[in-house]
Amino acid sequence: MTTENNGRDAFSAYHPVTLFLYFCTVLFFSMFFLHPVLLAISLASVFLYSVLLSGRKAVRFNLLWMLPVTLLIALVNPLLNHSGATILLYVNDNPITLESTVFGLLSAAAFVSVVIGFSCFNVVMTSDKLMYLFGRMIPVLSLMFSMTLRLVPRYKAQIRKISEAQKCIGCDVSQGGIFQRIRNGVHIVSILITWALENAVETADSMKARGFGLKGRTTFSIYSWKRRDKTLLAVQLALLAVVFAGMGMGAFETACFPFVRIAGLSGKSVAFFAAYALFCLLPAIVDGKEYFVWNSLKSAG
Amino acid sequence: MEQLKISGLNFTYPGRDGKDLSDISLTVQKGDFILLFGRSGCGKSTFLKQLKPAIAPYGRRSGRIEYDGTEITELSERDQSSKIGFVSQNPENQIVTDKVWHELAFGLESLGYDNRTIRLRVAEMASFFGIQDWFLKPVNELSGGQRQILNLASVMVMQPEVLLLDEPTSQLDPIAVSGFLAMLRRINEELGVTILLSEHHLEEVLPICSRVLFMEGGRLLLDVTPRELGSCMKRLKSEMTEALPACVKIYAAFSEGETPITVREAKQWLSTQISPAPKSPASPEDKPLFPRRNVQEPAVRLEEIWYRYEKKAEDIVKGVSMEIPQGCLYGIVGGNGVGKSTLLSVIGGVNQPYRGKVKLMGVALPKIPNGERYRGLIGYLPQDPCSLFVRNTVGRDLEDMAYAAFSDRQTAQKRMERVIDFFHLKPLLGRHPYDLSGGEQQCAALAKVLLTDPRIILLDEPTKGIDAVFKKRLSKLFYTLKEQGKTVILVSHDIDFCAHYMDFCALMFNGEIISENETRKFFMGNSFYTTAANRIARGIFPGGLTSEDVIEQCRKNRIGG
Repeated sequence: MTTENNGRDAFSAYHPVTLFLYFCTVLFFSMFFLHPVLLAISLASVFLYSVLLSGRKAVRFNLLWMLPVTLLIALVNPLLNHSGATILLYVNDNPITLESTVFGLLSAAAFVSVVIGFSCFNVVMTSDKLMYLFGRMIPVLSLMFSMTLRLVPRYKAQIRKISEAQKCIGCDVSQGGIFQRIRNGVHIVSILITWALENAVETADSMKARGFGLKGRTTFSIYSWKRRDKTLLAVQLALLAVVFAGMGMGAFETACFPFVRIAGLSGKSVAFFAAYALFCLLPAIVDGKEYFVWNSLKSAG
Repeated sequence: MEQLKISGLNFTYPGRDGKDLSDISLTVQKGDFILLFGRSGCGKSTFLKQLKPAIAPYGRRSGRIEYDGTEITELSERDQSSKIGFVSQNPENQIVTDKVWHELAFGLESLGYDNRTIRLRVAEMASFFGIQDWFLKPVNELSGGQRQILNLASVMVMQPEVLLLDEPTSQLDPIAVSGFLAMLRRINEELGVTILLSEHHLEEVLPICSRVLFMEGGRLLLDVTPRELGSCMKRLKSEMTEALPACVKIYAAFSEGETPITVREAKQWLSTQISPAPKSPASPEDKPLFPRRNVQEPAVRLEEIWYRYEKKAEDIVKGVSMEIPQGCLYGIVGGNGVGKSTLLSVIGGVNQPYRGKVKLMGVALPKIPNGERYRGLIGYLPQDPCSLFVRNTVGRDLEDMAYAAFSDRQTAQKRMERVIDFFHLKPLLGRHPYDLSGGEQQCAALAKVLLTDPRIILLDEPTKGIDAVFKKRLSKLFYTLKEQGKTVILVSHDIDFCAHYMDFCALMFNGEIISENETRKFFMGNSFYTTAANRIARGIFPGGLTSEDVIEQCRKNRIGG
């Protein structure tokens, strides 16, 4: 129903519950499992999704910020963490171990996946969607949240207006001695508070005029469950069942200390990884499908 | 059918002696479109709020208000909130939530409708109001006009039978005003909703309303049709006659009875009254009304000013060059968002241009230290006068400012007394600045700015939300300031005000000054962007700019009567 990113991404138009489930899963597995295959899948798919969402901007951000961060964590960890049994070399009499190098690399990958994952989360999970998800549980809180989101930009704009006005009568924070400046700053805040209280009265009237406070208030949302949402959810749950089964069977087990021990690949575990990969790539699959459908429609038309 | 029946309504705010509403009796039929007009503070808002008990102010009330035969306070809260809708003045303050769709649904959520019903009602209203394009937007991305339309729509989703509107357009620009009023007209005509509207923009409301109520001092003085208003007001000899639109004023100066209420009608009437070729094609005198004093440095000199808010944003002011002579009243007019206010803030030194020079009294602005700049050179009054007030009474606020500006206590005191006298602020000194009416706030803020005795006074929309009587008072103040040799520069949507009182006017469009001239010549050159009187007289009296001009010229040519 809503596409906040110029319609480039079709996945974010699915029901908020499915989206939330997607992000929870990806973030959970990247945070708590250090299995290199798992991490590679997570990293690759959040990277891909961020590019699908934000295009070139995402590529630039990922390479410019995330790559150095990865290298930094991967380098710094073995320098500071000396546990592990396999010593590779000594730096200033401090042992650099294989285990801590591997751990550094893996945790860097995990960290970057989480950061990119959250950046996607920010784009996709708009305040509307979050409010829908949590408003169900606590309606009053969700209304308060919405009102706060309304007030913050208003206050910001008003502070600017007030300080401009005060500047013109020589009373803003850039003028006078230090005490004068503090005094002026306090004045600006006090004007803002008076202004806010004054206006709040009118807002309260507007709420009362529209029946706020009557018994049996409902919470409206612009989201509804369509068939495709239900299908997606079913697919997600099925895949998750497989992934959790794999987790239960220890297919993702990884330990770095004292020795690096990573659960090996077998026919069974490949299936688990495949399920996880499929889950992580759902946005790309949905977008890809949409892309081909559009193209075929265009060429048909 | 009688929808509202008000009989002998009296109301007094707590702690007040006189009555704030006295003996109001009125019957409102279903589908009426009633205009309520009068000076600010005459009791219009108080009266409207009485009709909506949920937000009625606290105080002593007597008399009866019946809604469909039931006493209004006995209506259930649910009926009351859905059947009687209320829209007030400030578009910002009425919006509760952060998203347009949520705001639309707010009232229906309160009433406890289920998702499906709300979805339908919201969709209906969004289509009716043409909101679908910004349905999903956050509220703070909307313009003032859109916000007020949203407020109206979010009341309309509750399907009210009566709509009360308290000066809903006073904070809007002219285009937004027309859009809003057109919407009201549709609501009234297509949905049959009864409307009670208090308003200052008579020119646009008279043609669409069915009855006009005139209030003064809490009393209902007139209850007439729009066409009768002119002659009735003339008989009353009220000072609010000033507020009548040009078409009514011109007609009422010569004839009794029903007046024209649109420019078209007034033009038709005027041309039937006049011999085909007027004796002297009275052209405006060629000699300038206020000769430019070339000897002095101009008060403000702009050389190719460019300004934008952020590096990557669009230019707001695009290469503006202008000279504003000392000791004149200079008006900058133009539509919404053309960069007028921004230009003013650049002149005032609030924003620095990234290219070009601002010179005040011949000195480049950046070279004037802050201390001097706002202590005797520039006085800048922003659009919202409330952002200037610091203290909880007008008196203490002025005191604060005076002591900050003058180290010498005696000078400060003297200066303050002068300003208080000049603005007649004595009775307001003990009041809280936020409790004043729009016009009073404007005066108190202007007084504060003038404490430092600035030579250049910059005003951003000083006539916004002010009634006609106060406007006239403001113009007298401007004249006095001019006589003292001050330069007053104002930015305004109010064409009539500029045409009446400014010496020079400039039209701004798309970040540029498109034309600039002495006021009379300036408006004569425009065919659309000019006063109503000028549009009426166009092709008949080429020189008529204000309704007074047209009336005078009519007299000269011995027509009418």
